[in-house]
Amino acid sequence: MEKDKMKTLFEIGKDKTCVVAAVKGDTRFISRITSIGITPGCKVTIVKNEKSRPIIIYSRDTMIALNRNECKNIMVNETGDAA
Amino acid sequence: MKDKDERVIALLGQPNSGKSTLFNALTGMKQHVGNWPGKTVEKKEGYFEHNGNKYLVADLPGTYSLSANSDEEIITRDYIAGGKADVVCILADSSQLERSLYMTADFAGITVPVFLVLNLCDVSESQGKKINAEEISKRLNIPVILFSAQNKKNYDKFYEALEEALAKKTTLDSKNLESKYETIPYYNTIKSLVKDDLIPGYSSVWLAAKAVEGDEPLIAKIKTSLEGDSRSAFENAVAKINSDTDKKWVLVTGEAKFNWIDDILNGCVTSKSNGRKLSGFDRIITNRFLGKPLVVLIVLFGLIASFIPAIPFMGLGSAVEYLAGPVTRALSSINCPAFVTAIICDVLINSLSFILKMLGFVFGVTLVFGLLEEVGIMARISYVFDNTMSKLGLQGKSVMPFLVSFGCTMGGAAGARVIDNWGQKVLTIALAWAVPCGAAWAVVPMLSTVWFGGAAPVIIAAILLVMVLHMWITSKVFGRTLVKKEDRYGMIMELPPYHKPKWSSLFRYVLGRTKDTFFRVTKVVIIVSFVFWLLTFTNSGSMDNSVLYRVGQFIEPVTKIFGLGWKTFMAFVVSSLGKEGAIGVLSSIFTDHNMLTVGSAVASTHVENINELLVANVAKPEALAFIFAITFNMPCIVALAATYQETHSAKWTAIIAVYYTVLALLIACAAYHIGLLIW
Repeated sequence: MEKDKMKTLFEIGKDKTCVVAAVKGDTRFISRITSIGITPGCKVTIVKNEKSRPIIIYSRDTMIALNRNECKNIMVNETGDAA
Repeated sequence: MKDKDERVIALLGQPNSGKSTLFNALTGMKQHVGNWPGKTVEKKEGYFEHNGNKYLVADLPGTYSLSANSDEEIITRDYIAGGKADVVCILADSSQLERSLYMTADFAGITVPVFLVLNLCDVSESQGKKINAEEISKRLNIPVILFSAQNKKNYDKFYEALEEALAKKTTLDSKNLESKYETIPYYNTIKSLVKDDLIPGYSSVWLAAKAVEGDEPLIAKIKTSLEGDSRSAFENAVAKINSDTDKKWVLVTGEAKFNWIDDILNGCVTSKSNGRKLSGFDRIITNRFLGKPLVVLIVLFGLIASFIPAIPFMGLGSAVEYLAGPVTRALSSINCPAFVTAIICDVLINSLSFILKMLGFVFGVTLVFGLLEEVGIMARISYVFDNTMSKLGLQGKSVMPFLVSFGCTMGGAAGARVIDNWGQKVLTIALAWAVPCGAAWAVVPMLSTVWFGGAAPVIIAAILLVMVLHMWITSKVFGRTLVKKEDRYGMIMELPPYHKPKWSSLFRYVLGRTKDTFFRVTKVVIIVSFVFWLLTFTNSGSMDNSVLYRVGQFIEPVTKIFGLGWKTFMAFVVSSLGKEGAIGVLSSIFTDHNMLTVGSAVASTHVENINELLVANVAKPEALAFIFAITFNMPCIVALAATYQETHSAKWTAIIAVYYTVLALLIACAAYHIGLLIW
């Protein structure tokens, strides 16, 4: 997929789905975010995305809360609306 | 501690995998809580017997992986690799199987016998999931069971799996994961260099994968174990990985692990529900406007509820207090020396009574917090207060100990147990001390009214303002050391599905905790009370000859700078034992001049005309200084002891205590000079 289509996770609206394209950051961060199941290629549904609050996503059977700052490191490709 | 014929089981699992519930259910009250050597991480061990065999259960710290991102993770993997465990029990959450099998994938390559418990199967069933544990077991080549702590029948399955794993020494089949790793060129290079026995306990597969992931402590260990050519070849490979900026290899191994999990689960899990939406309660608690008030309400309600189990403790504490009279009379009737009577009645009986009264809070708070944690509400509270608390370098959960500290700082310290990062836990307790406790609220508004009448609400508002400032400054002062910059990740946490608590296991845990707290706290409190007694005891029964009195008089020129005369300064010193006694102590200083006792410091008795006495003897600026000084002083000896119990660090307990004493005097100084300007 084209690079310019990539967005950061927090740019995706509620009830949209996306696929993780890349995860940036240092080894500690990547190891932490991997251990909770967010790796390139995994499908993510945005459950809640409100300003100045952690974003809530659903991925790999799990409801996950992520700080917005951390989301900057997660690049995704939007795929559409959640079924 | 290990007997010869004892088998050691290590429980390994991510947070929220139900590990503690299983640990408590297996071991009951036969638990021992201590510290991992040289670390501040809590070490929990317990025992049980089954079919005539003795088992020691080690509850390893809840971690997300076996990387080296925290002390907890390093302890966990060193324990397993160190060969201390005869068998490892990995827990996964069957309602979130794909994600929670990550620990199993990270374990692959380690050759310690292992079995897998798919916990919380009641939750996954209610979600309409069907899991074929037998097939998963075949694919992994280890015993795998569906489990729920609720159901007694499940435990038979657990013991069977345990015995099978021990008897057959079942190790995890990781061949398929290896073949995925083999697509990583660096992995192959490194694997050819590290042999299986290079570092005891680790296989070459596991070592090579971790080295590729850039695991610093392990890379250092491998380096020292290798010699000559293979060492330089290894160093070259690591240097190449580091200079390869295109790819983060930790991501690649992560992908490999999840692909492997997908293969394992393929066809083994059928699910009716597709994705999950927020439940009704989740929609309310995550609501921008309703979330925070709801959390505060939950905590307040929890506090009130925790008073009910606290009542018997308080009754017991009061009963012990009444022993002082009869025991004193009995001792004097047998001509016991006065100082012996004083040590027994004043130091021992009063300390014990004070501890028992406060212990009720510990019991209540541990129960309520434990329940919130187990049911899954705690994770939501973390979410709701994440942004607010991250400004202080803390997790959202820290809001709970703060709220509890309005009632009792000891309860707050006990509640800080739910914070899984040690540095953040210590910082939370350090900040919770700034929150005026119930005893302060009983004394401070009254004192404010005595001197300032209708202006008392202004004083209270100023105290709350100073509290917020204090917490902010303290978070800056200690934050840098306690919560290192690289540890300051924002929230990355799953919101687990709600599930029913296992009451018997919860109660046993709470009782065990309360018992533990009692013994540890008693030691500290009695030592501190005894020192206080040495400072205040006089044979004559008048305070004039006591060390504290003389020191107070001697350093009055210094304490005057902070606005406190020797009388209020003495009352300030005593208030660090317990704020309940502040008025009683003033009352004996201004009236009968009787010797100060531990009893007077922790009880709330005073003469009737105390108000007039105070107004006549203490000017407003000094009064203001005094009010601020006692409000922000160390909360009480029991809180001090509980802080030691929770932080496992005498050093940090002492640092916090000294810091609070000094800062209270500085705040008093500021209040005094502001007072001088006004009046």
